[in-house]
Amino acid sequence: MLGRLNWSSIPFDQPIPLVTSLVVIAVVLATLAWITIKGHWPYLWRDWITSVDHKRIGIMYCVLALAMLIRGFSDAILMRSQQALAFHSQGYLPPEHFDQIFSAHGTIMIFFVAMTFMIGLMNFAVPLQLGVRDVAFPTFNSISLWLTASAVLLINMSLFIGEFAQTGWLVYPPLSELKFSPGVGVDYYLWSIQISGIGTLITGINFVTTILKVRAPGMTLTRMPIFCWTALAANLLIVAAFPILTATLGMLLLDRYFGFHFFTVDFGGNPMMYVNLIWAWGHPEVYILILPAFGVFSEVISTFSGKPLFGYRSMIIATMAICILSFMVWLHHFFTMGAGADVNGFFGIMTMIIAVPTGVKIFNWLFTMWGGRVRFEVPMLWALAFMVTFVIGGMTGVLMAVPPADFVLHNSLFLVAHFHNVAIGGVLFGAFAGYTYWFPKAFGFRLDEAWGKAAFWFWLIGFYVAFMPLYVLGLEGMTRRMQHYDVAEWHPWLVVAACGAALILAGIGCQAAQLVVSIRNRAALRDRTGDPWDGRTLEWATASPPPAFNFAVMPYVTGAEAYWDIKQKALEQRRLTDLPDYKPIEMPRNSPTGFVTAFFAVVTGFALIWHIWWMVAVGLVGAFGTFVVFAWRDRSEYELPAAELAEIDHARRQARVAFVEGREAGITRVAAYSGPPKHDPNRLGARADADGGYKGPASKRIVTGYGFWVFLLSDFILFSGFYAAYAVLSHATAGGPTPQKLFDLKTVAIETAFLLLSSFACGMTTLAGNVRNMLWTQIGYFITGLLGLGFLTLELSEFGRMLAAGAGPGRSAFLSAFYALVGLHGLHVTLGLLWLGTMMAQFWAKGFRPDILRRGMCFALFWHALDIIWVGIFTNVYLLGTSP
Amino acid sequence: MSEHDRDTVDRQEDAAPGDLELGEGGTVAGVRNYLIGLALAAGLTVVSFWVASGTSLIYVPGVAMALAALAIGQMGVHLAFFLHITTGPDNTNNVLALAFGVLIVGIVIAGSLWIMYHLNANMMVPGDLMDMHSQQG
Repeated sequence: MLGRLNWSSIPFDQPIPLVTSLVVIAVVLATLAWITIKGHWPYLWRDWITSVDHKRIGIMYCVLALAMLIRGFSDAILMRSQQALAFHSQGYLPPEHFDQIFSAHGTIMIFFVAMTFMIGLMNFAVPLQLGVRDVAFPTFNSISLWLTASAVLLINMSLFIGEFAQTGWLVYPPLSELKFSPGVGVDYYLWSIQISGIGTLITGINFVTTILKVRAPGMTLTRMPIFCWTALAANLLIVAAFPILTATLGMLLLDRYFGFHFFTVDFGGNPMMYVNLIWAWGHPEVYILILPAFGVFSEVISTFSGKPLFGYRSMIIATMAICILSFMVWLHHFFTMGAGADVNGFFGIMTMIIAVPTGVKIFNWLFTMWGGRVRFEVPMLWALAFMVTFVIGGMTGVLMAVPPADFVLHNSLFLVAHFHNVAIGGVLFGAFAGYTYWFPKAFGFRLDEAWGKAAFWFWLIGFYVAFMPLYVLGLEGMTRRMQHYDVAEWHPWLVVAACGAALILAGIGCQAAQLVVSIRNRAALRDRTGDPWDGRTLEWATASPPPAFNFAVMPYVTGAEAYWDIKQKALEQRRLTDLPDYKPIEMPRNSPTGFVTAFFAVVTGFALIWHIWWMVAVGLVGAFGTFVVFAWRDRSEYELPAAELAEIDHARRQARVAFVEGREAGITRVAAYSGPPKHDPNRLGARADADGGYKGPASKRIVTGYGFWVFLLSDFILFSGFYAAYAVLSHATAGGPTPQKLFDLKTVAIETAFLLLSSFACGMTTLAGNVRNMLWTQIGYFITGLLGLGFLTLELSEFGRMLAAGAGPGRSAFLSAFYALVGLHGLHVTLGLLWLGTMMAQFWAKGFRPDILRRGMCFALFWHALDIIWVGIFTNVYLLGTSP
Repeated sequence: MSEHDRDTVDRQEDAAPGDLELGEGGTVAGVRNYLIGLALAAGLTVVSFWVASGTSLIYVPGVAMALAALAIGQMGVHLAFFLHITTGPDNTNNVLALAFGVLIVGIVIAGSLWIMYHLNANMMVPGDLMDMHSQQG
């Protein structure tokens, strides 16, 4: 009934996790009780939980990240104190607990602090900077958020129910295989990351589509703020890299749950393949985190130097170069695994090359400050600290890119010091800079500066005190993840590092105090103009906090630094632009879909971890049902009348008028600013057409189609992970049946015929839909589905025949890879058939509505794309496997 | 339906991926397009199966290469005739996205094969190690 779950799953014998989780549960219950007593639930449900507003979603992401920062930092404090104490002793943390702590620390800090914070900042700022009202797919954005939250819930549940992985944050097999990690710890890790991975992938698709297809009129690509460019690059990386993670962890799940042999040490499995695949995701992941931070720093440095960003175009080129190059360096994470000299040499050199665009960026920031009037406000302090710290961290990275040096430093604390140097000095400082920079925009008041500076100095000094000793320790030979040690030279350095952690704790305390003090003094810190920092990009053109629709009238962009141009013109003329012609706008309606889906995701994930199979079915059916209900809704938008828009915008304009006329304490620098450099081709008036040929957001059909297209590409990449595993493992038959003996080409030929004809029928249906012929649309889809069903039946009977012959996935790594690859395609066909069924019902019930026609277009893309994947499979698996 | 929802209007002069732009021929042209696609795809499939069936017409070590070429050709046919990806200016964004995806797919597969081949050549495959281990035991 309850699978593996029973009373012994609760850690009654371990006081630290037990007390911690009881305290956390008490705090959560108290908060919930307080919300209930105060009657805040309707407000929370209406304005936050079901909100599809990108700003609120962004804020919720950041809140989640800050909460997880505290969780991850608690783990850090435990580890630092344990290592400070554990000289010639066992310290206070038993090994199995210590191992869980370092695994949880890495997992939480990367996935739920760094990723979540960056996605939060992108959510908040990108649509505002693009001058639009929301992202391309607002409801999916909410689903992304809540899936991330479900993963957070699951991973924190492991503290109280069961255990967490003891394998390190990347759960390397064979240690993470069932044989060596029989508990639920690794399963908690795997399902949490799979669920949050889906959410992240949706975010990636959403933002790539938003940035490429939904921008204010005149916002050509080379007029976008650099933060949008870095967001584009980071989200392209998400779309390209996360499917590899999903594939890799999926293989490990198959190993653990169904006895496959991808990464086991017997039956031909190959643990090194896991290391290879996970880093093919893992290295781009590093840049997914750092690129948005680079974007934040670019905005901050430009704003607080009072100058346009130096080398805007070189910044774009550097960003996109990193985006591509980051996919060509992954082996530097496992130089010591035993590849030959030319492989190590290639990846070493590529790693050094990727430092070049990063260097370009550093110089661009320096030259942006050069000659500017630098204001040392808190965001700028973070940016300055970043430049120094990140260069040090980057240098030690390039040092380890030299394979022979890596052989010495690999797995030592030198490495730990290096990646904290770039992760804290780069990503976290970037998150804090963005948090301070955009806080007044999000809430309408600034953060207290004195507390902010105190937090900054504690963090900065604390960081150096905590991590510089780790470089020394690494050179002295201390490896990472040691629960105890008996080398006397290490001890003093570890004590110093623990003191650094204490300083960082003080920094976090100051940040908490800053938040409390700022909320109390919010009247004095109020931002009335919407432009507290003398900003240059469009988010500062609207009120603080912005209305739900961001801009009453979409801005018309005529150059880079869209808002700066508008502002300087207004300041020169001492008046705002003429009152615009307000037109009613449509805004997406709130939807509980994200929250409900996430609820079922938690149910499914928890049930899978504990092997409660009936609950898995409940969760999956619930999630599918939620989607059908969501797809069934008739009104996805509500209309804001022009009069209401005019009224809200009037308040904003009043504040702006006072600002422009110099009555409000604002920043008027017209005299100090000598105007844009004349040679810059992005400048106003440099083009014949002011809007640069870009007329504004694309139509919904194009936006939807493009988003789905990007999804399909990520799906191809998912398959490429499984395909790579098949290509590597196809000879590992472990004495079992070979492809020649196993495959029956006649069946494969019939399967292919079914699939091709089904695709043809789907094409015919598209034509029937184009001319709005319901009968033929239904008949066409029916034939499409029937042929698909035929394909599936044949495939399953093939599988049945092979299983009966003793050639199951547990027989050899070759068969594992075969069943996974071909089965994944079959799973796609199955999901396609489910989709087809609901869509036919929708066409029947609602007729040829544009939104359902868009779905039809996406289905056709999906169905035809499955052919392409099948071509790859039947050629390389079946034909190549059986050919002489 | 609002102005935003009128799907036929396209101010960007961009095409949604998968949308077939039909000229004056309309449905007839569409049917012809899908028929050509089906014929080409079926033909290439048949040739692939024939090549793999051990025909003596093809130099045996060249079979793999021939199959790869046929598969890539057939994928192209599917892209052009079923997914309607064209080289026109309205498709630039779609093609760029596709190119990015293909690049990553290529890097993942080719890179994995290269790396794993090297590892296998230099290190003992864990399976063999295990076999040796059990033989000793």
